[in-house]
Amino acid sequence: MAFKRDKKEEEDGGGNPFENIEKTSVLQEARAFNDTSVNPRKCTHILTKVLYLLNQGEILGTTEATEVFFAMTKLFQSKDVVLRRMVYLGIRELSSIAEDVIIVTSSLTKDMTGNEALYRAAAIRALCSITDVTMLQAIERYMKQAIVDKNPAVSSAALVSSLHLAKTAGELVKRWVNEAQEAFSSDNVMVQYHALGLMYHIRKTDRLAVIKLVSRLTKQGLKSPFAVCLLIRIACRLLEDDDSAPGTDSTLLSFIESCLRHKTELVIYEAAHAMVNLRRTTARELAPAVSVLQLFCSTSKPPLRFAAVRTLNQVAMSHPSAVTACNLDLENLITDSNRSIATLAITTLLKTGAESSVDRLMKQIASFVSEISDEFKIVVVQAIRALCTKFPRKHSVLMNFLSAMLRDEGGLDYKASIADTIITIIESNPEAKETGLAHLCEFIEDCEHTSLAVRILHLLGREGPKTKQPSRYIRFIYNRVILENAAVRGAAVAAMAQFGAQCPDLLENVQVLLARCQMDSDDEVRDRATYYYTILALSKRNLYNSYITESLQVSIPALEKSLHQYTLNASDTPFDMKSVPLAAVEPLVLENAPQKGAPEGTLLSTPAAPQRLGVSKEESALELLSNIPEFAPLLPQLGPIFRTSEPVELTESETEYVVRCIKHCFARHLLLQFDCLNTLSDQLLENVRVSLEPAEGYRILRELPIPKLPYNETCSAFCLLEFPEELTASTGTFGATLAYMVKDCDPATGLPDSDDGYDDTYMVEDVEVNLADQVQRVWKGNWAAAWEEAANLCELEDTYALTSMRSLQEASTNIVQFLGLQPADRSERVQEGKSSHTLYLAGVFRGGHDVLVRAKLALADGVTMQLTVRASNPDVAELVTSAVG
Amino acid sequence: MGLFDKLVTLFGLRKQEVKVLVVGLNNSGKTTVLNHFKSEDDKSTEIVPTVGFNIEKFKNQNVGFTALDMSGQGRYRDLWEFYYKDCQGIIFVVDSSDRLRLAVVRHELDLLLQHPDVSSRALPILFLANKMDQRDALSSVKIASGLGLDRILDKPWHICASNAITGEGLEEGVTWFTQQVRQVGQPGNRPNRTGPLASGKNN
Ligand SMILES: Nc1nc2c(ncn2[C@@H]2O[C@H](COP(=O)(O)OP(=O)(O)OP(=O)(O)O)[C@@H](O)[C@H]2O)c(=O)[nH]1
Ligand SMILES: [Mg+2]
Repeated sequence: MAFKRDKKEEEDGGGNPFENIEKTSVLQEARAFNDTSVNPRKCTHILTKVLYLLNQGEILGTTEATEVFFAMTKLFQSKDVVLRRMVYLGIRELSSIAEDVIIVTSSLTKDMTGNEALYRAAAIRALCSITDVTMLQAIERYMKQAIVDKNPAVSSAALVSSLHLAKTAGELVKRWVNEAQEAFSSDNVMVQYHALGLMYHIRKTDRLAVIKLVSRLTKQGLKSPFAVCLLIRIACRLLEDDDSAPGTDSTLLSFIESCLRHKTELVIYEAAHAMVNLRRTTARELAPAVSVLQLFCSTSKPPLRFAAVRTLNQVAMSHPSAVTACNLDLENLITDSNRSIATLAITTLLKTGAESSVDRLMKQIASFVSEISDEFKIVVVQAIRALCTKFPRKHSVLMNFLSAMLRDEGGLDYKASIADTIITIIESNPEAKETGLAHLCEFIEDCEHTSLAVRILHLLGREGPKTKQPSRYIRFIYNRVILENAAVRGAAVAAMAQFGAQCPDLLENVQVLLARCQMDSDDEVRDRATYYYTILALSKRNLYNSYITESLQVSIPALEKSLHQYTLNASDTPFDMKSVPLAAVEPLVLENAPQKGAPEGTLLSTPAAPQRLGVSKEESALELLSNIPEFAPLLPQLGPIFRTSEPVELTESETEYVVRCIKHCFARHLLLQFDCLNTLSDQLLENVRVSLEPAEGYRILRELPIPKLPYNETCSAFCLLEFPEELTASTGTFGATLAYMVKDCDPATGLPDSDDGYDDTYMVEDVEVNLADQVQRVWKGNWAAAWEEAANLCELEDTYALTSMRSLQEASTNIVQFLGLQPADRSERVQEGKSSHTLYLAGVFRGGHDVLVRAKLALADGVTMQLTVRASNPDVAELVTSAVG
Repeated sequence: MGLFDKLVTLFGLRKQEVKVLVVGLNNSGKTTVLNHFKSEDDKSTEIVPTVGFNIEKFKNQNVGFTALDMSGQGRYRDLWEFYYKDCQGIIFVVDSSDRLRLAVVRHELDLLLQHPDVSSRALPILFLANKMDQRDALSSVKIASGLGLDRILDKPWHICASNAITGEGLEEGVTWFTQQVRQVGQPGNRPNRTGPLASGKNN
């Protein structure tokens, strides 16, 4: 839509007075702020330009920003109200770039406590943007006063600012809870809402306190509809937490349900939205919420229609029946004059509709797809993706539609979502593969996004050689080498090499093309061409497998570090690739693009997806350990961390002490990290450790207790063990007890009453070390070749009856999880209706022993499994077979 | 417009407006001094250490003052210099009972006098030897010699003892200051030193 608007403005003939302004000249003009007598109108205008530039994304350097900032501080001498308010905005915008911004602290505190009502709220907001933690004490008194101020604008500003300050100074802001409480009883709807926001934030980490707050407020009934909406969101958050107490659930649910009958539409919508999004909602609870949304679908107010249909669209996959109930209303919205509403209505119908209606709806959408913005086009694409999984037979209609969309104009996000969808279809539906690849080939002929072209070339290299007619792709790929930039040419060279390695018929042609690529003007392209050409010229299948079809399996940042380390100490021994930690294989995520993190203080009504970090667990664990002085010197001896497992809870939730165990596995050592949390406000724990009874063969080398564990803090204790010499003895169970010295203390100050304490212990769950903790997943692009190559390794085979498994899919998922190995060729997914299935798994055991596993599953009164293990070490093979048994 | 008018406009004196910078170590009494000059309605009942700076406006003998009350805490002293350029006079407040920090005061004064935006101009400087009521307060003569004020040859300056709480001594100081600013920009204006110590050496 943004795109459309721009066009219109162009036609109107430059309505924007700031169109041609330029940074240097504006900064020059800003010198006028230094003039002895201030001209308010002129200065306001200049300041507007500065703000405009900043909001257009113009970057000011520190010096530039500081200069403007200090010049701006001189405007405080003017009594002009408009100018002063512009100055506040200027302070907020520049506060993060300029230096020494605290210079305006006193001027702002004066304005926020002064008589001029128009200054006060804005001054508070500006003050919070410049305050750092060291200054907070100085303004605390003013903030407390402002929170309870009679003027609602002042009170709201102070409450919202407190929320922002809580990011950096949570503890201090907690002391303002009484003021927040007082503001909460205000008659003003905004103040009550903001006060609730702050009250919740202060209690957020204390589940019990939140429950109390919510149950008190749900009974009391709030004046402000905004506050009610927030309360609904808090209630949902409580309900979504897995460990909620059974009694509170039903009261929370009935509160949300009662909000469906609220007199304000805002609240009614919020409640309905919450109900349909709750993970635990049952059909009975869903019905009233859906009928509310249904009603909203046919109101005359576009925002309500939009909200309702958008919500239905979001839950179409999780609650298809709820959405089908609204089918008629949605049909009416297909022709809504608001295109956004129409798009959402159609895509919702597509997600839930019958196979027979697909053609009709697609035609409808095609009639206006060119008129909607990229953002909504992506919604359409996502609906198509869902349809393809649901109706595999429809793939040709849908694929044609997608390829038409690919040819349209559009931004990278939009194009990438189409390509992603095509890729998903190819991966899940073998029948669609050839058409899909053909569409993508056509697309890269004319694709201006380098990143997308590179991805598609990679895909062609991976999938193309396995098709019936691999030769047809070579031309498309080689065309890229002639026409594109270096990054794309490099990707094309790599893709061609895949064909050379896997299709003997094509090898000769590929070699001719690669030879030509060795004349390329770019270093990287030439290097790749030479590399592949040389390997292919050797005609050795095992070399093809290790150096062409399989990608590099070590973690690249770790490789860089290891190489750097190697070059530092000159040595005659060659670099050992096995010493580099392997890259963790990302679990396959198909749906749900990662959501952006919400800013502090906001509470989203739909739970956010877990954050995906750029660094592996092992890398961050290593960083953590190297910061512990006691461990840093040991680390070189231990070598790199081979694998860090997911944390395991050793205590029930809501107990006095919470203990989680994280296992860091090294080649010959196991480091257990115990994250301990003390939830008793009247106790200070000292010398906290987890004492272990290790399984046979294990030796404890070192223990590192937590010296002091105050209330509500999480600290880590460590225990370093040596694995048993015998590999087969390395799985086992350790008895564990939390041991510590207790000192009673004053809950208010956290200071111990006396120096004396007493020793105590607390039982926690056993620590289990299993196979999965000791292997790292490895992704094999060509598993069959690797298996063949491993034929001369040690092989063990055994048959098992998995009686507790009810389906092949269940068995497959469990085995993958239990062994901790990486499935190849998407073999973890069992096709519906099949009565047998084969899993192909690969990984490396600590110490660098390769493991390949083939598991043949068959459905027969439970599931029977024939497990074949090939490993470079016989003990590892035995460990795998015995672990399953 | 005649030459005189031009000059007057140039120095912003048409409406008898002057911008002064009030500096000095923390706790010397700068904010208290300015509070004394403010009209009854504007006066603060409670004075807290300044963070950064504050702008105060008041009138004295028909001259409108815009005073920049700077913070004297160590952390903020470096920021004074941002405001040297566009001021037409400086009031330097000294706590005369703070013997220990007189050396610090002298150091800060040296920095101020050496700054290019100050050294090149004949800015009038009023020194207030404040807190004269304290039992161990140094006399203004002692303060002047302690700070080496007789080194200042190219700027008009004046020192007087004051009590910012009662207002004693402030009128004398500000009257001198007002005269100085009135003279600035007029032909034949010369650096002019007065005060107990200066007057002894000046003829
Ligand atoms: N006895 C006495 N006390 C004074 C006098 N002048 C100021 N004070 C006190 O000295 C303290 C500091 O005064 P302020 O005006 O805040 O000092 P300041 O120079 O503005 O300090 P900063 O803003 O931190 O740079 C206050 O408690 C005043 O009451 C004075 O002449 N005699
Ligand atoms: Mg002050």
